[in-house]
Amino acid sequence: MKTQTLRSPSENASIAGEKPMPKYIRRSLFPLSIDDPELGGKAQASWADAIVLDFAKKPGCDWQEDLKARMPAAIHAAAKGGAEVFIRINRNAAAAELDAAVFSGISGVVLKGVTAPADIVATAGRLDALEAGRGIEPGSLEIDVEVDTAGAVWHSLEIARASRRFGFFLVNEPALCRSLGMQSAPALEFDPLEYIKSQLIAVATSVGGQAAGMSYPLGLRPEDAGGDAVKAAVRRARDTGFKGALCPGASWIAACNEGFRPTAEEADYYVKVIEVFAEGLKRGMASVPIDGKMIDVPVDVRAKLYLKWANRAQARDDEKARAHE
Amino acid sequence: MNNRVSRCAMFVTPTKPRFIDKAWTRGGDVYILDIEDSIAPAEKERCRTLIRESIEKASKGGASIYVRINKPFVDADLPYAVWPGVDRIMLPKTESAAEMQHAHEIISRLELERGIPPGTIELSPMIESALGAVNIHELLTATPRKIWSQGGATGYDMAVNLGIEMFASFDQYAFPAAYVALAAMSLDIEATGGVFVPNTSGRVDQGDQAARQAAALHAAGIHHSGALHPAFIQPLISGLTPTEEEIAWAKTVVEAFDALADAGESVGQIDGKVIDKYERDTAKRTLDWAAACAAKDAYKARALSRAEAG
Repeated sequence: MKTQTLRSPSENASIAGEKPMPKYIRRSLFPLSIDDPELGGKAQASWADAIVLDFAKKPGCDWQEDLKARMPAAIHAAAKGGAEVFIRINRNAAAAELDAAVFSGISGVVLKGVTAPADIVATAGRLDALEAGRGIEPGSLEIDVEVDTAGAVWHSLEIARASRRFGFFLVNEPALCRSLGMQSAPALEFDPLEYIKSQLIAVATSVGGQAAGMSYPLGLRPEDAGGDAVKAAVRRARDTGFKGALCPGASWIAACNEGFRPTAEEADYYVKVIEVFAEGLKRGMASVPIDGKMIDVPVDVRAKLYLKWANRAQARDDEKARAHE
Repeated sequence: MNNRVSRCAMFVTPTKPRFIDKAWTRGGDVYILDIEDSIAPAEKERCRTLIRESIEKASKGGASIYVRINKPFVDADLPYAVWPGVDRIMLPKTESAAEMQHAHEIISRLELERGIPPGTIELSPMIESALGAVNIHELLTATPRKIWSQGGATGYDMAVNLGIEMFASFDQYAFPAAYVALAAMSLDIEATGGVFVPNTSGRVDQGDQAARQAAALHAAGIHHSGALHPAFIQPLISGLTPTEEEIAWAKTVVEAFDALADAGESVGQIDGKVIDKYERDTAKRTLDWAAACAAKDAYKARALSRAEAG
């Protein structure tokens, strides 16, 4: 896989009041089924930052006991390539599904079908008990929200604020279109969900979380597409504020891992900005030019934040590479 | 005077005499004396001491004066920023009602101490983060101070908060900018943004860009904008002022609707266009804004004349 070098002077570049931005390096979220006999191999070969595990309830048996028996091994298999692991849970059967699926080794649960903040509160309460009962660090499991209903959009701020466990919104555009009664075929010249996506990004960011999604039309037509098409869509998604995307196929993952981070060229530029601005400050200047552009405090702050982001993404890639050794 | 009209509010740097000394000759509606990001940390103390004399210099041509202070230094900055002649304090990166209330209390005390009628100075939250955007309604209702116009949730700091590169060819702030504008309008505060105007170059000195910006805002019924370069001033001012044709049409609509109302009717037509209460209200707003612009321009002309004579 492609690697980049960590760039200085990020290590010493601290910013007053700084929070990590983005909070998580989760550029590619790859759904796999625990029933897939090649789960471990597919997870490892994918190089995804995160695996989202789906499960089916087996008929003719106690599905909860069946799931409890199989889930720990599935979590272990999904994590083989260094990915974080999440379990996708249905809101309308959340309590039973959480009991059957939550075990050590996952980062959190992705809750789908959410319509109100009460769904988050109830899930948080159940996770409190499961963490205590299953040897998981208290408060460590995230609740992430797959946005697929009008209610989730309308109540997005209350949902994001409902629990400190909130991590990210994951936009499921086809399902959301169905919920809104909209045509889900991408026949329009504009993105019908542009405002909603922007809302979810802003709301998630406001609580220190983030949003994952794809730009139009790929977000609405989640299928394998050519490399250049995915790269362009990822770039636009990043410039909208998304920090990653749910990848319907493995072909999206490399483009997401590469695109949902500052590029190598951008990182080089940030290093230059930090160095030139620091020199300017020593001379008492509030702004200094680089290639005709003025560099001032906000530009310097951005350079430091984005360089840290680039380095954290690289560290994540290195971590996955070690898991593959 | 006439603080409502801010077709072009331009940032100026008090520590740079060539900017401050010429500001009054450039015709801006508003000058924003900046103590924040255009001032190096080592220069902030000196900048504070220059605010009072800069107010007089920059307003000689009839412009209103705003002062942008620093979020981390509100207590230190405000005593240097609140003086007679200041129309608005701009509070950067505001995110909570408590920040607004804290600034309001200090401004109130300083108004009392300095002979400024209580509540004269506006206090405007600058929305530069997602948290500020989603909290906009509580920010705007946190104090009793009047705010004529409010926008934001775009720009550099917002981009950094969202983790995006600016100057894409599409609207990167669709929700936050519109949400802030809508919150302002819901409180009878005029919106200053919420309309996307592409600027992929990122340049701030091109008059044709200013003209495109003004046309887009004007079409959306928004009258206020900002600038970082003098080249933006005249295109924004002319572009955000109703044209003679718009004023004439507005007068026609108002007169026609009033005649309809006198006749007990509520809907009519002029040249095939429907005239009703909503069209009448829109026309009335055009005439109100045109009158405010004319008053501001007359005030600026008189001030300029005095300054040139002096």
